[in-house]
Amino acid sequence: MGFPHKPHERETLVLSRHFGEQEAIGLDGWRKRGGYVALEKALKMEPAEIVQIVKDSGLRGRGGAGFPTGLKWSFMKPGDGKPHYLACNADESEPGTFKDREIMRWTPHALVEGCAVGAYAIGAEVAYIYIRGEYTEALAKMNAACKEAYAAGILGTNAMGTGKTVHVYVHKGAGAYICGEETAMMNSLEGRRGNPRIKPPFPAVAGLFGMPTTINNVETLTAVPHILNNGADWYKKMGRADNPKSTGTKLFSVCGNISKPGNYEVTMGFPFKDFLYDLCGGPLPGRTFRAIIPGGISVPIQTREEAENSLMDYEGFVANGTMLGSGGVIIIDDAQNLVKQIARAARFYAHESCAQCTQCREGTAWTTKILERIRDGEGTTEDLDTLLAISENMTGTTICVLSDSCATPVISGIKKFRPEFESLIHGRRSHSVLSAVA
Amino acid sequence: MVSLTIEGRPVTVPEGTSILEAAKVAGILIPHYCYHPGLPVAGVCRMCLVEVEKAPKLAPSCATSVAEGQVVRVHTERALEARKGVLEFLLINHPLDCPICDQSGECELQDYTYQEGRADSRYRDPKRFNPVEDFGGDVLYVPNRCILCTRCVRFMDDVAHDTVLNVSERGDRALIGKFEGKDMTHPWSGNVVDLCPVGALLSKDFLNKARAWELDRVASVCPSCTQGCNITIETRDLQVARLKPRPNEDVNKFFMCDHGRLNYRWMNRTDRAEQPMVRTNGALRSIDWDVAVHAAASLLRDARVYVVASPMLSNEALYLLSRLMRRGDGSGAFRVATGDEAPLAGVEDLALRRDRAANVNGAELFGFKRAENPLEGMRDGDVLIIADDDLGRIASPELARASHVVVIGTTLPEAARDAAVLLPITNFAEEEGTFTNLRGRVQRFTQAKPAPGLARPSWLVLGDLLGALGAQDGFYLPSDVFASIAASHAAFSGLSYEALGMRGLPVLESQTSGAAR
Amino acid sequence: MNAAGHANAPYAPVFTGARKAELDELMTRYPTKMAALLPALWIVQEERGWVPSEGMAEVAELLELTPAYVKGVVSFYTMYHQHPVAKHFIQVCTTSPCNVCGAEDVVNALLEQTGCEELGVTSPDGKYAVIEVECLGACGFNTPLMVNEKFIESVTVETVPALLASLG
Repeated sequence: MGFPHKPHERETLVLSRHFGEQEAIGLDGWRKRGGYVALEKALKMEPAEIVQIVKDSGLRGRGGAGFPTGLKWSFMKPGDGKPHYLACNADESEPGTFKDREIMRWTPHALVEGCAVGAYAIGAEVAYIYIRGEYTEALAKMNAACKEAYAAGILGTNAMGTGKTVHVYVHKGAGAYICGEETAMMNSLEGRRGNPRIKPPFPAVAGLFGMPTTINNVETLTAVPHILNNGADWYKKMGRADNPKSTGTKLFSVCGNISKPGNYEVTMGFPFKDFLYDLCGGPLPGRTFRAIIPGGISVPIQTREEAENSLMDYEGFVANGTMLGSGGVIIIDDAQNLVKQIARAARFYAHESCAQCTQCREGTAWTTKILERIRDGEGTTEDLDTLLAISENMTGTTICVLSDSCATPVISGIKKFRPEFESLIHGRRSHSVLSAVA
Repeated sequence: MVSLTIEGRPVTVPEGTSILEAAKVAGILIPHYCYHPGLPVAGVCRMCLVEVEKAPKLAPSCATSVAEGQVVRVHTERALEARKGVLEFLLINHPLDCPICDQSGECELQDYTYQEGRADSRYRDPKRFNPVEDFGGDVLYVPNRCILCTRCVRFMDDVAHDTVLNVSERGDRALIGKFEGKDMTHPWSGNVVDLCPVGALLSKDFLNKARAWELDRVASVCPSCTQGCNITIETRDLQVARLKPRPNEDVNKFFMCDHGRLNYRWMNRTDRAEQPMVRTNGALRSIDWDVAVHAAASLLRDARVYVVASPMLSNEALYLLSRLMRRGDGSGAFRVATGDEAPLAGVEDLALRRDRAANVNGAELFGFKRAENPLEGMRDGDVLIIADDDLGRIASPELARASHVVVIGTTLPEAARDAAVLLPITNFAEEEGTFTNLRGRVQRFTQAKPAPGLARPSWLVLGDLLGALGAQDGFYLPSDVFASIAASHAAFSGLSYEALGMRGLPVLESQTSGAAR
Repeated sequence: MNAAGHANAPYAPVFTGARKAELDELMTRYPTKMAALLPALWIVQEERGWVPSEGMAEVAELLELTPAYVKGVVSFYTMYHQHPVAKHFIQVCTTSPCNVCGAEDVVNALLEQTGCEELGVTSPDGKYAVIEVECLGACGFNTPLMVNEKFIESVTVETVPALLASLG
């Protein structure tokens, strides 16, 4: 649903069907809505069977990377004698994204069930849900849901009476965007600074505590019970007929200068233009869309034209100059100062850089300083060249992609909205004393 | 084994080797900061990026293993641009401190910037500022210069097993930090100053003392305990200014302890015996070397001899002393100051040893006994040779039992003021020789500074003395003395200065059971 | 804020009684002691309102870590306070999605009406401080903010007076 608004008829409500229903939050209410049927079924299946169904469904990671989930699960080698771990990434911190928090605060048991099924499928007895520290409501509700599940014998050493062990533990973060990066999240869980790790080794080989680990997003895991209940074909059918690579539904978090901000669930491949003007109510009165970022602030900025041409799936956005990312749709209209917003975005990255890699640690701060000078009317044309050079040095050179993510709005912003920057620069050419006189 | 090509050079290395290490084997230095062979890999500085054929992204060569048939390029435009970018980022907040920074001249930021960096700066904004901090021990931290390579943090954590340093804060606010009240008191913490590629971690002892390019350097061995860490002695204007560890995979890896590192001032002492002296008419008088040597020889010729040796003497000196001792039907002893052992936990068999002298093992190998009171074994009437023991806590009456006292040393101890002959010798920093460490490893040290006055190398004086007593072998070089040792002692059989090189070799297994601690 | 939260009061250990039992239970969830670090630090901050050095030392001892290590971790995460904070520590999201929806106007209204005037500065009556924080994950419910541990969404310039009144 375009929660908190009433569901739009063109939405496809799978994960968000019960948003807003108080009764759905507790165990009894959730059971009435079909909860834990999938887990009961799963615990009687072979893990490999479950992995195959998820593979067939075409489910891809909903955190932003879009990696095929079934394939990721198949990297966990059964029978290696090592403890396996599932880590649910509930660190949702990508600006523009606020879907996982809705899943957790309205349907916490859906996530508990998804984690339990996922853990079982990859041979793990323990699943950790890493929830960002700021999500007080989600933390309270997930903790309560886990408690209920343990009390009802759904979790524990005799999960649903099968004699199998499934533990789901909630782990509270403490304020760091970078902990949404899967290897940084693992370090944070282990009680370290949230520094991303160099890959290889990959988490499926050596992850949490050095053991094989799979990390999945909240939205991804919550989709799994539905796939088990309704079948892989059901999930595969949702999407564009001519694009089998993107299947199922996606929760899009819509925010910024839009009439009806909220979380909307549509099938993959939905036309973006319809989405923006019909489902989301279009721009605010008297305004027009200027810049649209469909996947959270780390994906390239689209012009209105590019957005209106896009189909909402992984391939559709790539074909129109951006990426699906986390599905956090940020709308910026013509009344906004785009340079100011890009400067603010850079400031975000500079604040969140973990400080390991030289390019990111220094580059995010430098980028911010230059953009803020331009914003304040103290920029020069040299600065634009410097920004692009810095951004190029920040791309593809670091342990994780926070660095690249900082470069993205800068590069796409200057490329597609250059006149906005130039108008603030007033033709000042350089910082030399001589030209200051001119 | 894996075969690959780096900058067109074929190289074969064991599986699991990093590209950076493989490049070293191929004779190519890939610029880097955070990587160090003695520390776990971090891969954070991003300086070591190289181009690997068929790989879309540049690879951090310190953290990427070699692959069969890999083609690696280090100096393509793409790699050079990336490294130039890293240097630019490192310099934007770096203060223009070179004129006042101790690291200047041995600074890897200077070196690589000169080699591959930009000639100008594009940074127009204020630089970050943090005040200097005293980290305790010998270590000062200058955050403004820090490049966050984290070598210091990894050393204290993984090698010293004393996690007293951290990285604090996030982003461009990050700096190295510690906990109030918990300082760099670990006995090996001074190594972080060596490890720091720039002038962020400095030695208080060395602060503003000399410029790196004013220093002369020789290879040597630390004399402060029996571990025998390989070191470099650095002198300025013929004075020892600093000691630094020298890499030796089999002894000290890349490290030395703070006690040894800072214990060099005695090498510069000026209160030295500088003239050969003979007692005539009741007083010691300066005299020619020949006369002094013959005076000593005449005292020793038909006498029983007792030797108080110093465990700081070289194998060469101790060998010749032992010949004097046996010729005189004598015996000898040594004493050694002791202190607490301080291991470097992360390295096998590496510690500041209890015995605080370099050549306890050598002294024992050549027949000198360890004794609390080194004069205990002296028989009445012996001619007493004091070989560089400073006779601290020994009063002159105790020497009275000796018929004559011959001092062969760097000083004339007060208690031996009635000595008959004084032969002044060089200290360890002023001569060449070898030590035998507690594991029986024989290692060479070389001369770092000239001897004062007329003082001569210990082995030369002792060789001349033996010659004056009738010995036929003349020694012109310390290597000659060593050859004589090798020919006459099974433990040293087959060894020579050439064979020892500057990293040493072990003596035979059977001889390593000495009580050196 | 209790007396123990005041910067000058002597430090009384946090991990006694129920809180110790809580930590012991948390530690059973992980194969290493170190993994209980963030949860342990949260307990300290819940008890004291911030994480004093003594708290870091206490946690370090319990988890067999060094105080320097614990401090390095504390300083990494935005939500752990290394100094006491105002009674009502107001953290307003101003990242781009909220920024285009008037988050800065909310900040300015708060600064004015609390008497703080400046970001990060405690109000003269000691009750308030206002800072900007990064994305709080409620972008469609702007402007969201936190007051200490409380999450409040959909704050507008118009609702600021009522919000402040509700804080007491």
